[in-house]
Amino acid sequence: MSVPYLREADAQHDVEKLVRFVRLHLGDGNETVGKEEIDRSWAETIKILLRDQPVDREFIAQVLEKDEATLALLFYHLHFYLIRRSGRWIHDGSR
Amino acid sequence: MTAADKQHALSATDPRESGTQLRAGLWQTINERYPGSMIRKESYVGQARLAKPLTECRLTLVSSCGVHLKTEKPLDVCHPFGDFRFMRVPSGAKHEELIIHQLKYPHDDADLDINVIFPIERLQELSQEGQLGELTANFFSFIGYNMDPEKFERTLAAGIAEAVVEEEHADCALLAPA
Repeated sequence: MSVPYLREADAQHDVEKLVRFVRLHLGDGNETVGKEEIDRSWAETIKILLRDQPVDREFIAQVLEKDEATLALLFYHLHFYLIRRSGRWIHDGSR
Repeated sequence: MTAADKQHALSATDPRESGTQLRAGLWQTINERYPGSMIRKESYVGQARLAKPLTECRLTLVSSCGVHLKTEKPLDVCHPFGDFRFMRVPSGAKHEELIIHQLKYPHDDADLDINVIFPIERLQELSQEGQLGELTANFFSFIGYNMDPEKFERTLAAGIAEAVVEEEHADCALLAPA
């Protein structure tokens, strides 16, 4: 699942391979766990939004002006941010 | 079977699966996840012989443990392909000045004593005792997780090699994998 492998999968429109890579990455080698982790980060967003607190839509608009590579990486940072907030941490490394 | 035998029997299982830190299944997909990252026989590069005794050598330390000064921003542990940058760690730094940011390996013990994975204070001692000629001003650290060996070699590895030779003028390097 090196980058060349992923580029080939992308060229062949093989979304399953790309999704499996993401799940393995976020699940530290376990696809089922990775899927649970993704679901948990989304659930965390709902928990936060249910509090109905003010949001900074201007900031969001500014962020979305950024290049797509930055935004794509930000997606991963947000995932791990939400996972940390959830209180369950499956990774070996730094919280 | 005694209690000790039972303990031995337990430890005879794969410690990577029975340990408390690594999760079950972690190693079952390892070959699928990192096939292009493994060092192949054709990648072998012979080690160069030292041109002078260690007591006269200027030594540097290179590690994939992801350690850095607490005062610096950490490398990116979230990127799915890895962070292809490296950090300079002053060779005179102490344990309490350093921190590890990593996602992919347990570093609880290294948090207690950085020297178990990045033996910076041991090298300082060896240098002070005269068993090493001297240390370079900076050591090097990066995040070992990466999914693009070609880019790794072209960017990160080449960058460290250049810094080791051109900036630090090292005679030799101690490589410490995490």
